[in-house]
Amino acid sequence: MLLCDEYITPTTLADAFAAMARHRGRHRVVAGCTDTLPWAREGRAGDVEIPVLIDVSKIPELNERRVEGGRVRLGAATPVQRFLDEPELARALPALPRCALWFADDQIREQATVGGNIVNASPAADVTPCLIAHEAELELAKSENGSIVSRRMKLTDFVQGPGRTDLQEGELLTAVECDALPAHGGSFEKVGQRRSLVISVVCLAALVKLDGEGRTIEDARLAIAGIGPKPVRLTEVENFLRGAALDAERLESAAEMPVKLVASRTRQEYRREVVRGFMLRGLVNAAKRAGADPTVLTSDLETAYA
Amino acid sequence: MPDIRLEATINGRKVSRAAKPHQRLIDFLRDDLNLTGNKEGCGAGECGTCSVFVDGVLIKSCLMPVAKAHGARIDTIESLAKTGELSVLQQAFHKAGASQCGYCIPGMVMAATAALRANPFADREEIKERLGGNICRCTGYQKIFDAVELARDVQNGRLPASVLAEEEQAEGDFIGKNVRRIDAPSKVTGKLKYAGDMTMPGMLHVQVLRSPHPHARIVSIDTSAAERIEGVEGVITSADVPGQDGFGVFVSDQPVMARGKVRYVGEAVAAVAAEDLVTAKRALAAIKVEYERLPAVFDPFEAMRPGAPVLHDYAPDNITKHIPIRVGDVEKGFAESDLVVEETYSTQAIEHAYLEPEAGLAYVDHDGVVTVLSPSQNITHHRHMLARIIAKPISKVRFIMSPVGGGFGGKEDMIYQGMLALLAMKTQRPVRLVFTREESIASTAKRHPSRTTLRMGLFRDGRINALALKMICDGGAYGLSTEGVMRKAAILGAGPYAIPNVRVDTYGIYTNNTPSGAFRSFGALQTQFATESHLDICAERLGLDPFEIRRINALRDGGMTHTKQKLGKVSLTRVLDAAEKASGWETGAPVSRGATRSDLERADTRPPVSLGARLVPNGQHADKQEAAE
Repeated sequence: MLLCDEYITPTTLADAFAAMARHRGRHRVVAGCTDTLPWAREGRAGDVEIPVLIDVSKIPELNERRVEGGRVRLGAATPVQRFLDEPELARALPALPRCALWFADDQIREQATVGGNIVNASPAADVTPCLIAHEAELELAKSENGSIVSRRMKLTDFVQGPGRTDLQEGELLTAVECDALPAHGGSFEKVGQRRSLVISVVCLAALVKLDGEGRTIEDARLAIAGIGPKPVRLTEVENFLRGAALDAERLESAAEMPVKLVASRTRQEYRREVVRGFMLRGLVNAAKRAGADPTVLTSDLETAYA
Repeated sequence: MPDIRLEATINGRKVSRAAKPHQRLIDFLRDDLNLTGNKEGCGAGECGTCSVFVDGVLIKSCLMPVAKAHGARIDTIESLAKTGELSVLQQAFHKAGASQCGYCIPGMVMAATAALRANPFADREEIKERLGGNICRCTGYQKIFDAVELARDVQNGRLPASVLAEEEQAEGDFIGKNVRRIDAPSKVTGKLKYAGDMTMPGMLHVQVLRSPHPHARIVSIDTSAAERIEGVEGVITSADVPGQDGFGVFVSDQPVMARGKVRYVGEAVAAVAAEDLVTAKRALAAIKVEYERLPAVFDPFEAMRPGAPVLHDYAPDNITKHIPIRVGDVEKGFAESDLVVEETYSTQAIEHAYLEPEAGLAYVDHDGVVTVLSPSQNITHHRHMLARIIAKPISKVRFIMSPVGGGFGGKEDMIYQGMLALLAMKTQRPVRLVFTREESIASTAKRHPSRTTLRMGLFRDGRINALALKMICDGGAYGLSTEGVMRKAAILGAGPYAIPNVRVDTYGIYTNNTPSGAFRSFGALQTQFATESHLDICAERLGLDPFEIRRINALRDGGMTHTKQKLGKVSLTRVLDAAEKASGWETGAPVSRGATRSDLERADTRPPVSLGARLVPNGQHADKQEAAE
């Protein structure tokens, strides 16, 4: 059971920072609360008393969303469900609608936020690998001498390990900015204990852009989570694929490359199998959605992995 | 803790009232507004029994702090049939028989309502996906999906509304007919009150202090600090039990609360009744229990060894029950056989996971009758046991069975009703205890974990000549239904087969694990898992078709079981024929199948689970283009 004496819902950034300063050391910032409430239960944190909860989900700046100049800006309080029901976001971020489908369920996605998924820094976060593949940068704001200052940081640098981030005392994650990739095909592969409402054992975000013929890989973006302490971008594989012909042999070689990265605490053998399969399935699905020439993907590959 | 002022429009009515800052929306709706149609099944967003609309968006109200709902429009299950007329979806759930225990159904109806609002033409795959956040444990999802499809078609005018009406039925004509459930309207509307939905004026809230140790002597319990807390009206321990402190289905080995020692993690040690839940929880934290840890045993094989820790004085060998069955001469039978196969099979503990966590309400009525209302699956036995425990004549003890939100055997044991009775007697006020999901999992019975060694002797033609089965079950810390489970496991263990020589031994063993108890099939699952798996292996060894080996050995009309029960009609061969046909079975020994399977991807087989139905244009799921995702 989560107990608090006060639940504050600021409607401006300034009010939020004022509340954080006023209750320094005795508050917790929350947004969707979909992880905080289950956390404060038997078997996890048990009964928890936090004097002040500060809910940042109603701050307008944290709810902004826009696509412009090849970049997407997402307020940190954006609910995950928006990737499914806002067509502009779905177009610019092709892996995220599929990621959203695998994320909790329709109801929880209405509350759970992008920022929450990032600052929780779970090794198996679903949204984080997608955003990493989109070259995401974070905007972190704080109040200094009465004015709000912000800094920017790459998402890959921000997440440091399980539950650990570079978020500083008094700071809020306000927004994420990342590449708009409307010409890429996207896929998101996830496996957990069951279909709905599970934490990923492994999840993979794959984005592929092909030439006009659908036969050459112009760009590939790949990031994976669940195989180590934090989600990772597969830059080496991306370079191996970029400019290459789209064919089964290339994809199969690429699928082998990240297998060596598996460094999870448990079930490494299983995860290696999954990584190999997900790489192929993710690349095939993304390539198909990017308009792959149907003759270049062998039917073997498609039946096995698509 | 200053209150917050909450203003909202709830089911079309303006509400303005104080709420606690820590309350979740579900607490506010259920406890403060008495809108109990939506349930709390898990408190962690997993089950969907609490799904409500906030500003038209379906959310899980156990995951929403009430402060978030300030200024919002909230619609609960009660909003759907406000004037008494069921919504089309509710009528469809009624028509399709999509309600059994009913505990998940309000949430299901809400999720279905949201699904058809999001896409009025959603096909079955998309419906499944959109209902993915809601769990059902006994209705079965197919009827629920049938209901949603039916409602969709009525709403879209593809089917006339008349399909929702009750079908004409000749008087007394039930066999093979769909009979309308008379209790469905109360379930699809959320009107049915389960124990946790009920309140009484002056009611106190109960919380239970549970053992953190698997095996420990209780040196002392000091409840004085807890009793001094304002709002705490009663604290009880085993010292408050006036009569013979012991309950159990077969052996009364379990005290209402731990007496002298604790035997498993999660065992009740003390209980508190207080004006509110938070006070009761604080009181628990103020109870001081001094334990002296004892060696514990977690494996039934270790528990059977000499020198193992002993749980109960009456059973120095830790054997709760041994059921032996002897027919013919097994050793001779093996000697005569052409093939003897021995294997060992194990099964694990399983939680019933009924969607309604245990809950109960107790009071002492105007005539001094101690009354306990709970979803007990065995009220008459509970009544007799409680009378002995509280030393009252049976006429002064009453049990009322509230609707059971799923039981599966898990609600047969009188795990908490004794504490409720004692607290009602001590405080002379109504008291209510509602388990959390975690508490339910930690403290109540599980399916018996088992290890079965099975030896079978067969003739070359497939006839079984001898069977020796020895099953060791982990019964956990208390007897509960173990004796009956061992009995049934032994009676049904040799399967529905005519076997001349049989030796069966089933053992329930005490360990310091969570007690094992009744669970659907009551022991048959464990031994039959072994026997049926074994038959497949033997079929393979003999080059026989698995169906064939069962037909060869099947008991027939007039047959005699190994416990000497003469059978009239035996339907086994008909069941085998039906199963063979329905499964698309490829005839032959299990080793004879080639590289490809013809029983998959038929018109009536289902594709693997997938997500992404809503991203596929309607009606195109059949081509499975996204099937493997």
